Amino acid sequence: MIRLSLRDLWSRKLRTVLTVLAIVLGVAMISGTYVITDQINNGFRTIFAKAAVGTDVDITHKAAFSGGDLYASGGSLPAATLTSVRAVSGVADAAGIVQGSGAVVLNGKPVATGGAPTLVYSAAPFRFSQSKYIAGAPPARSGAVAINAKLATDKHLKVGDTIGLATAQGVQKVVISGVFDFGDSTSIGGATIVQTTVADAQRWYDLEGQYSSIAVAAEPGVTPDTLARRLKAALPAYAEVKTSAQSVADSTKAVSDAIGNVLRTILLAFGGVAVIVGAFIIFNAFSITVAQRIREFAMLRSLGATRRQVLASVIGEAGALGVVASLLGIAAGMGIAKAINALFKAVGADIPTSGIALAPRTIVISLVVGIGVALVAALAPALRATRVPPVAALHEGATLPPSVVSRYAAVIAAVAALVGVGVLAAGMFVHGSTSARLAEMGLGAVLIFVAVAMVAKHVVRPLASVIGWPAAKLAGSSGRLARENATRNPARTAATAAALMIGLAVVVFVAVFAQGFKTSFVSAVDRSVNAAIVVSGQSGGTVPAAALATVRAVPGVEQAAGIYAATAQIDGGSTASVIGVDPVSFGPLWRFHWLKGGSDALLARLAGDKAIVEEQFAAKYGLSRGKSFMALGQTGSRQRFTVIGEYRDPTLLTGFTVAQSAFEQLVPSTQRDPLYVIAATSADPAQTKAAVATALKAFPTATVQTKAEYTAGLKKQVDQLLTLIYALLAVSVVISVFGIVNTLVLSVYERTREIGMLRAIGTTRRQMRRIVRYESVITSIIGGILGTVLGVAFAYVVSSRLASQGITFSVPWGQLVVFLVVAGFVGVIAAVLPARRAARVNILEAIHYE
Amino acid sequence: MSDVREQGLEIVPEACERPRAVGEGGDAVVMARDLTRRYGSGDAAVDALRGISIDLARGRFTAIMGPSGSGKSTLMHVMAGLDEPTSGTVRIDGVEITTLKERQLTQLRRDKVGFIFQTFNLLPMLTARENLVLPLTIAGRKSDDAWLDTLVRAVDLGDRLDHRPSELSGGQQQRVAIARALVSRPAVIFADEPTGNLDSKTGDEVLGLLRRSADEFGQTIVMVTHDARAATVADRIVFLQDGRIELDCGHMSRDEIYDTIKSLEATSERGGGGSAR
Repeated sequence: MIRLSLRDLWSRKLRTVLTVLAIVLGVAMISGTYVITDQINNGFRTIFAKAAVGTDVDITHKAAFSGGDLYASGGSLPAATLTSVRAVSGVADAAGIVQGSGAVVLNGKPVATGGAPTLVYSAAPFRFSQSKYIAGAPPARSGAVAINAKLATDKHLKVGDTIGLATAQGVQKVVISGVFDFGDSTSIGGATIVQTTVADAQRWYDLEGQYSSIAVAAEPGVTPDTLARRLKAALPAYAEVKTSAQSVADSTKAVSDAIGNVLRTILLAFGGVAVIVGAFIIFNAFSITVAQRIREFAMLRSLGATRRQVLASVIGEAGALGVVASLLGIAAGMGIAKAINALFKAVGADIPTSGIALAPRTIVISLVVGIGVALVAALAPALRATRVPPVAALHEGATLPPSVVSRYAAVIAAVAALVGVGVLAAGMFVHGSTSARLAEMGLGAVLIFVAVAMVAKHVVRPLASVIGWPAAKLAGSSGRLARENATRNPARTAATAAALMIGLAVVVFVAVFAQGFKTSFVSAVDRSVNAAIVVSGQSGGTVPAAALATVRAVPGVEQAAGIYAATAQIDGGSTASVIGVDPVSFGPLWRFHWLKGGSDALLARLAGDKAIVEEQFAAKYGLSRGKSFMALGQTGSRQRFTVIGEYRDPTLLTGFTVAQSAFEQLVPSTQRDPLYVIAATSADPAQTKAAVATALKAFPTATVQTKAEYTAGLKKQVDQLLTLIYALLAVSVVISVFGIVNTLVLSVYERTREIGMLRAIGTTRRQMRRIVRYESVITSIIGGILGTVLGVAFAYVVSSRLASQGITFSVPWGQLVVFLVVAGFVGVIAAVLPARRAARVNILEAIHYE
Repeated sequence: MSDVREQGLEIVPEACERPRAVGEGGDAVVMARDLTRRYGSGDAAVDALRGISIDLARGRFTAIMGPSGSGKSTLMHVMAGLDEPTSGTVRIDGVEITTLKERQLTQLRRDKVGFIFQTFNLLPMLTARENLVLPLTIAGRKSDDAWLDTLVRAVDLGDRLDHRPSELSGGQQQRVAIARALVSRPAVIFADEPTGNLDSKTGDEVLGLLRRSADEFGQTIVMVTHDARAATVADRIVFLQDGRIELDCGHMSRDEIYDTIKSLEATSERGGGGSAR
């Protein structure tokens, strides 16, 4: 029976190829996701491991709490710690390292890193340094720096060149003393690494008399574990002592959790969409072939084949497809991983990667997904095949007995829809871990898709007559026949359209949601910011603290204030944002939405242990005026704040807001740069902006924009992200194209005789092609309409849920029209091959065709 | 007629004559000259037509008969522009079709030729009425209401006209197919075994309708059949054998047709097939 299945597959080559492709792409997305995220995690591990070469134990300042910012740490160690370390027995050598962050500045412009870090650290003695100098030497005197080889190559820099380095003290003019190789150049992405002397780094990053970390080497015969234990005992409690192996693992995990694993979840979601679309196509392809092979099954049954054998033959076919498709998918996944990386680079995110990283886990998951989806999708058609009675062999045009499923289709669809809505609601409203809730919402959405696909056949006819109307008007008979063809087998058309529906529903959901996000964010900025000029840092970073005074001094600037943000642990539990402002200068530049009778008068009282809190924060911790809460900052300082007022601002000043002085108690000095500096002008905003920009030349990482430019930039960023998401979703749309092609090819094949007749009585080839093309477009637009409706509905539900977080529901009508046009275009593309086949039907053979 | 059998075709049935050289054709709707059709090549080559010339006069109902493999279907396909002859020419309504391009040929079929197939070949998703006017729809032409009324009456479907083919009997479907062939008033209708899938009673109804089409509407009809009963409604019966016209007869009764067929079979056996000639 298996041989029969394989023979059968071979005899329907084109359809087999199309069906296989539908699975291949989905599997490729999944395996590609694992490959790229493994590569990213690997890339970071490589960087950390290289940095740890020669170090046995690593000492840092313990973080007061975990969570919050990825790069937030507990501050620095006093220089005296180094002396204590050296005194511990078993320590062969120890070096204090100062680390900071600062862009390399060339010709007054910071070098873009595409989101990768701009590391600055003091050069360590040779035994702790993994750096291999390929030119020059490590910095030995003040004002000398060494740079990584990739930066030197990319920017054509050599030893002796003078470059700028952005520091907390403004841009420093430094001379390149050496170029070092930091391992595999691709593995660090776009990161720039600058080594300085310890003294320079301490001065430039306000760390005089302090070290960011201390690297320790053990004497021979002393294991890192032993040494770490001794150091722990000898040092104060705030010192975090880790073996370098542990340190590498922890750092890798922290970065993986923040980048690789987050990315993996997101990409897997898109892969999941592609797989589900593929499942619909397999289901449809098998349903059609089973219907076509009724006589074959009946003949086999009449020859004595059991139902089990018929089932095995269809399932065997699906399994064979699944195996081939999974293997191809794994191979294609390597390409997808490359493509995703290229896509990130294209939108300016150069993430470190390393190795090819086809982990055994990736292969297993891909096989399970590919084969599993083929088997599950083919199960229902296979069960139908077993219901063919042997007597059907004698009837021409015997049809399948209606399946149990179809009899209770309405009930099953209703149950699936109800369960889907229930699970979706559970994911949205019941508390739990974020990933569990997302999984619930995803499962709910899938169930709803299945339910809609099951009932979609009932709307095919009305939709087709509406969509087909212009076709019939414009193209006459071709349009009419196409419309009739599309509604001939509503279930098949519905299932074909459903594949496109899913992809489009997700696209529309994302578009509508993003529109709401944009609208709410931009309107929040418009509403709250009462200043003409916004100064922000490079790629979401901070503005150097010294820039504020510079801005204030610019003629035409009436008032300027910094907005400082960090993370604090509240009441010993979860973390929240803490905002620091200077009430006097900030007050006039911000329009608070006061609640419960508050007013700007409250700002005058915002000092010391007083806090104003955002509505959500108040609700979460059960706060109201007069009540207090405990905040723990990364300095390790614990402060009790009393609530004096409440405001509503779910997008910008979330968490709680305190006076700058209180903020500085909580936040280490290295993290005290403002996130934004905003300024009101007394003169023409455009001219003042130009003046501010000139004044900030010394701070090249600071971007000066008018408020309108700033919001436009935000919109652009969201749009860029959207482009990325659309590119990922395009895979699902491509898969649904295969589905439409498959269905059309089968339909053309089934209708060979009709096509022959139509051609005989004078239908031209062009008309024939047009009939197929219109049928395809009608099918794809049905999918487009269903997808749009579902996508908008999902977005509405999710937006309403997030309304309290400031997300509004706003429909981008223009874009929806574009999506529908794209859906129509998908139909045109899908029809090319089937239409050509229909036009080439040999009339004579066709009219004698059984 | 026993002497016919004994002497083969040296004695020609009363209504028949030997095929003779054809001239200019006069009022012929279809003029075929020296048609040959060879399938395949080399040793495997099969000659389906070995030089056929025939004129089909306007308004006449011609049946083409002959045993399987005699070339009757091929002749019809070539004359209808569905198949290309290896050599020879065909004119339909004055237009030489063997040199036409695919597109022009399709248009000629649409405007000048009607088809009736053995399997009724109606589009299942259209109603009987919609199937009936399909050629006009394809051509993008308006229907002539009076003509349509006439056809609808002739088809005699009553209230089933707005039903789909699956709800009609075989005879009813074939009557719709005939009306469909008539609707564009083609120069000639080619019918390929139109009663082949029908029982004798419904077959008669269908044949009656074809006959009336010729009588009442002056429709030129060419019907390929191996059913003697069907051929009795024709004005002219052409017998093919081994790719050649063997006899060209006028109206014949069923018995006469049977006898002719038998005598042809006998000749064929004695002659050992076409290749011997």
